[in-house]
Amino acid sequence: MVRVDEKVTVAVDKNGSPIGFAWRDCNYLVSDTPVRWFARREWWVEAARVQRGIGSGILEVEMWRLMAADNVAKRKHQYELVHFTLENAWRLVRVYD
Amino acid sequence: MGAFTHLHVASAFSGHYGVTRPELLVEAAAAQGATALAITDRDGLYGAVKHIGACLKVGIDPIVGVDLAVHNTEGSPMGRCIVLAHGHDGGLGWSALCAIVSAAHRKGKKNTSIGIEELARLAIRDGVALVTVLLGVESDFAASVLSESRTEAMAKLLCWRKALWATASLGVEIASHITEPGTQGCITQANRMLQLAESMGVPTVLTNAVRYLEPDDALTADVLDSARHLEPLGMFQPQPNAQAWLKPTVMMQALAVEITQDSGQAQALIKRTEQLADRCRIDPPNDCGWAKPKTPEKSTLGIEGNPFEVLWQRANQAIDWRYPRASESQLTTVRHRLSQELITINRLGFATYFLTVADVAQMIRDMKIRIAARGSGAGSLTNYLLGISGVDPIEHDLLFERFLSVERTSLPDIDIDVESARRHDIYRAIFKRYGSSRVTLLSMQSTYRGRGAMRDSGLALGLDDEQIDDIAKNMWRFSARSFRNAIGSKPELSALAEAIEEDRRLNLMVDITERLDRLPRHISMHPCGVILGDSSLLGLTPVEPSGLGLPMSQFDKDDMDPMGMLKLDVLGVRMQSAMAYAVRERERVFGERIELDDIAKDDIETFRAIRTTNTLGIFQIESPGQRELTGKHQPTEFNDLTIQISLFRPGPMKGNMIAPYLDGRHGFATPEYIHPDLEPILRETYGVVIFHEHVLRILHVMTGCSLARADEFRRNLEHPRLAPEVERFFRAKAVERGYNQDVIDKVWDILAGFGSFGFCKAHGAAFALPTYQSAWLKTHYPTEFIAGLLTHDPGMYPRRLLLTEARRLGVKVLPIDVNHSTDEYLVEASHTTSNTNSPGVRMALTEVQGISDGEVASIVAEQPFASVADFYLRAKPSRRTLERLALVGALDGLAGTDSHTRGDIIVRVRELNTIVKRPNVDPNQPMLDFDIIERIPTGHAQLSADERVAHELAILKMDVTEHVLDKYREMLDEMGVVRSDELVSMRSKTEVLVAGVRVATQTPPMRSGKRVVFITLDDGSGCSDSTFFDDAQQRCSHVLFNTRLMIIAGKTRRTGVRGVSLMAENAWDIKELWNAWLKQKGERLAAIA
Repeated sequence: MVRVDEKVTVAVDKNGSPIGFAWRDCNYLVSDTPVRWFARREWWVEAARVQRGIGSGILEVEMWRLMAADNVAKRKHQYELVHFTLENAWRLVRVYD
Repeated sequence: MGAFTHLHVASAFSGHYGVTRPELLVEAAAAQGATALAITDRDGLYGAVKHIGACLKVGIDPIVGVDLAVHNTEGSPMGRCIVLAHGHDGGLGWSALCAIVSAAHRKGKKNTSIGIEELARLAIRDGVALVTVLLGVESDFAASVLSESRTEAMAKLLCWRKALWATASLGVEIASHITEPGTQGCITQANRMLQLAESMGVPTVLTNAVRYLEPDDALTADVLDSARHLEPLGMFQPQPNAQAWLKPTVMMQALAVEITQDSGQAQALIKRTEQLADRCRIDPPNDCGWAKPKTPEKSTLGIEGNPFEVLWQRANQAIDWRYPRASESQLTTVRHRLSQELITINRLGFATYFLTVADVAQMIRDMKIRIAARGSGAGSLTNYLLGISGVDPIEHDLLFERFLSVERTSLPDIDIDVESARRHDIYRAIFKRYGSSRVTLLSMQSTYRGRGAMRDSGLALGLDDEQIDDIAKNMWRFSARSFRNAIGSKPELSALAEAIEEDRRLNLMVDITERLDRLPRHISMHPCGVILGDSSLLGLTPVEPSGLGLPMSQFDKDDMDPMGMLKLDVLGVRMQSAMAYAVRERERVFGERIELDDIAKDDIETFRAIRTTNTLGIFQIESPGQRELTGKHQPTEFNDLTIQISLFRPGPMKGNMIAPYLDGRHGFATPEYIHPDLEPILRETYGVVIFHEHVLRILHVMTGCSLARADEFRRNLEHPRLAPEVERFFRAKAVERGYNQDVIDKVWDILAGFGSFGFCKAHGAAFALPTYQSAWLKTHYPTEFIAGLLTHDPGMYPRRLLLTEARRLGVKVLPIDVNHSTDEYLVEASHTTSNTNSPGVRMALTEVQGISDGEVASIVAEQPFASVADFYLRAKPSRRTLERLALVGALDGLAGTDSHTRGDIIVRVRELNTIVKRPNVDPNQPMLDFDIIERIPTGHAQLSADERVAHELAILKMDVTEHVLDKYREMLDEMGVVRSDELVSMRSKTEVLVAGVRVATQTPPMRSGKRVVFITLDDGSGCSDSTFFDDAQQRCSHVLFNTRLMIIAGKTRRTGVRGVSLMAENAWDIKELWNAWLKQKGERLAAIA
């Protein structure tokens, strides 16, 4: 397993589930039903405000573990993406061998 | 498919865990289409009654349970479970749940947990389950499922099933917060729990283990976790995400599918959930005795036959006692009023209730403890005759209907005041008299308010204590909910306003503080509430140990009425203790018995003394505002006190009732009665409507409605929704009765404006009694009264101010003396041989900072002492206490101050303190070194007055020898500072400087909504009151709340015959001025030399 922390562009289906992503000039296609869970962020370290009604995005992130293959070598790997719902930003955090 | 029912929901009453108040959860569930909702608070039913009430209001079924820790027979933890009461079973489920909760609390707050065997015994009766126990993710079963040990998990579940064998007594709760696979709360864990439970035949249900209403609330939950762990965020394992919210039906259905991976299984799971929900729907009246009044059984009260007949007899028999000299026509009035009251009481079925309260009141009197009624109960003649109240409602023109009427069916509140020092004795006596199965103490949920919310927010963010203290110090009179607003507008917070721009954490702290505001914080014993019921009481409310050791209900005062429980407020009032003490001291020292409750209420001397405005120490009228009002009002009779006490309340102040009343009273304005019919009602207040009783009578006279009905109208007037209906009725009936339109319009304007501003006269009269009694004692027995005040400390002012007042009254304050002082302030008939009849007050040993109860007890036990060494040997004080006693002169009497100075004694004491081991006293062995030769050195300097006061302030926190300000006298004189007692003779708008020690700071609510700060200073000659408006507050914000010794510049403002206050312009710290002055003085001296 390799830890990374890089911005990726993600395409999702109508349920918000990733179907493909672009990373380091390469496109990856999701090949299986991804596993989703929810993890958290340490808002007390990063947030500027936490007023009532700011929403759970400041506390919570969506995590996706998925099998995907790149469009060049076509090699399948397991990847983990984090989706910051507040900012609607995606990052790749883990790549499994 | 119907709406989903949540069976696992922690409310905000799960202290430091749940986030949302039950009412909000219920409303949201109803809005989601749910037909029922559970509340399962941690460790108790703290929010249950509010939940049931909210459910009844929106028309859904309440379900009640608890989230409890369980241990096995060896005492090892088995994790937590949910216990849900079954409903519609005549209360069996509810009372089993109460018993289970009470049992879990038996071992105290830290070890709240129930043994599995006891749980099973209470859960199952005659083979039938009364409750369902649900094992969720916090159970030991779920933990072993997660560790992937199938056999271990099965063994755990088997263990539960063996104990909880009856049908429906055990279930497994399938809940997932969709956490990372492999961690607690993940989908896989939920799926495995489901499969395992099914394979073993244990039914499963779906929940979302709810902690808050909406995802946004998860942030608040983080902070509550921090407060529970007592660790800053980041220092403990936080909740995994923000999924623990009240998810709507579609999301719960989707969750079921995600867990089961099978729509059939998902549907079955949800169906079983609804089946369990149905079994647990509570029928409030039949399951928990909702709204049905419960009083002790007749036999417990020692009565036979019909309680109403007993009540009728007792009340009538007491007429001779209460009205010994009444004329026949007066007696007719009394009898007529009494029958009317009794008819109402009988119709409501409250006879037993009155007999119960009377029984308690009699018990308290038999214990020789002072007792007085408070509140609207003083309006009842029945209460007066039964000895519950000491105020004659006929003499003071008080209405029963304000207290009780057939229009309302809730149990009335009868509150009684007793001596605070004896309150716990009374509680124990009540438990003894009625038996612990019928009595519990009432609890109280304290909630997060300003400073508390700020402190826990600061803690969560890891701010340091000093920073938190600094901010807390400047938080004055605003709701934490509007903290950010306050920061922008309050001058004393301007430093904080700048700081939050720079410091991200401070900025977050402000947001969190606002989030925490009003959330329940912890449960504690209610300061005065006792619940009295019949022998079924412990099946209706769970109890836990209180700080007193007596059991305490988990319900609070708002829960009493819905539960039909009789709550008796036995409030400890320090003034009652102080007065009882004064009376006892008079009898002890002079053999004179004072019957305080029998004194005439028209003593000229007493009212003259009140009118001087030196009301310090007098009940209810000693505050700066009341002193000012006393100056303007100049009361001359008892009813004036009732009026004055009632006027000085937020309502009448906001309603602007004071000025018109005073104008009428002093003849500055002609009273306007609007109509001759109203004159008899409003004559006492010069046409101003002040009392609830006034409104009742006006409605009664002008519409012909009953007084009982009128009180309902009065209550409705406060509701914008209901007021129009009152108006329609009032106008129609008044026209019918021939009042002209102009009168009707004018009266209605007054009634509509009255709103919530008025005050209950009975309450005012009940308070006026101890006010008068304390004023009477202060006037005629100042020494005894001051001794009582100093011993029981009833007032709002620091004790050193009482010494100032004692000096002003000419009461001798005798310094601490180890041969004469005890743990109380004793009255001494004559303290010197030369002055035979001059009583004084001897200061108590307890004033010495750091002296222990043991040291005080041993000094008192060993008194008298012959010498310093004798004291050292027999009283065995610690070194620190011995030195402190010497420094404040408590040993002067042992050394003979004719031949020795305080300095000599201190040297001797320090010598003794160097002895490593104190020798034991042996009566057979003459102790040459100590006993015979008291070696006190001579020739050491006497302490200066300045030094004495410094020691007194350090050790006693009081200036005994002279006033603390005397030290600065030279500078103050040079500056032309005036003394407070000179203010009264000054012209209005004179510019003056006053100085003194801050004794009170108040920020009362103002009509304009703007904040005004009142500061009272004591300078030894009396007190001065200064008012700071906005611009003055800006000018001296740094000294406004924190400086003790101050000089204030301002203009005098006459407010009445003897009323003067200062309109402050600026203020300074005396100590700062003093240092500058000393420096200047030094320079001047140097220049001369």
